[in-house]
Amino acid sequence: MLTWMVVVALAIGVYGQRLAGALLVDADRLPSRWRRVLDALPLAIISAVVALATISDDGELTLDARLAGVGVAALCASRKLPMFVTVLAAAATTATIRAVG
Amino acid sequence: MATVREWLFPTGTELTSGESLTIGLTYFTVGLTVAVLHVTDGTAPWVMIASVFIVNSVTPTLAYAAVTASGGSTAAGVLSGWLVSTRFGLFAAAIAPRLWRSKTKRAIAAHASFDPNVALAMREKDDDDARRVYLATSLWLCIPWWIGGIIGTLIGSGLSDPGALGLDAVFPAALIAIIWPQLAKADLRVIAATAVVIAIALLEATPGGVPVLAAAGAALLALRRGR
Repeated sequence: MLTWMVVVALAIGVYGQRLAGALLVDADRLPSRWRRVLDALPLAIISAVVALATISDDGELTLDARLAGVGVAALCASRKLPMFVTVLAAAATTATIRAVG
Repeated sequence: MATVREWLFPTGTELTSGESLTIGLTYFTVGLTVAVLHVTDGTAPWVMIASVFIVNSVTPTLAYAAVTASGGSTAAGVLSGWLVSTRFGLFAAAIAPRLWRSKTKRAIAAHASFDPNVALAMREKDDDDARRVYLATSLWLCIPWWIGGIIGTLIGSGLSDPGALGLDAVFPAALIAIIWPQLAKADLRVIAATAVVIAIALLEATPGGVPVLAAAGAALLALRRGR
């Protein structure tokens, strides 16, 4: 759940980086290896976030219906379906398994 | 009217109306989807609408929601949100020198830096064309995404029993949709897999949030030569 404080904190962090990029950083002078690291950082974080949001609960390994839901999402994404289809399929799969189980 | 038309359809550039429409439609549905997710997750409508305009991006809020939903602290969630937006700084750095000389204009333009508009503007050979394409694609992207976010907030507030909707699976599902195209590159797949292994290995041994932040270290694999 997002709160005012969280949204303002995220906005400052995101715009701060955009502004620093636009006004301070000379893209040509950034070593290309470090550019690649900054480029790969979001992917690393998001992959870890996806994994933990799928198989953990409150810091403990928890396998439940979410795993099937996110699995279906991966399948949809690999078929290049739009994001809302992917999300709906994941929610429907998870909810169905819970209702049956 | 003629000016607005020129803003949206810059003549004599590489930008096609098909590309513009695709961006508009994609970001409209993304804004709609993400706003519905956050609002059914308990986010207050005005907070959601403010987020659409001032954060002006979906990955940071999705990352925050996914981290906190699985037990991470608020601070860990915010830090994850900041770290997933490093690419916007790089985009802004890449496009800024080709836009206006004025720092105020550059500062405003930076708020709209996303993946597709920067990429399409950079494709132009001439700086003047790059600036016109950046303006056009930013409008084609931001306006549908803002409208989608507002409509999604309204739809989300109207849903009655979000608990039954399998909502805990939707944040990781939305993030998978965002990162999937990057997984086509082998070296990026290695980085993603390493991050997952680090996060799972540390899950039960460290406090909430630490596994995700430690997994950021997987990005250092990009220091290796190649690509």
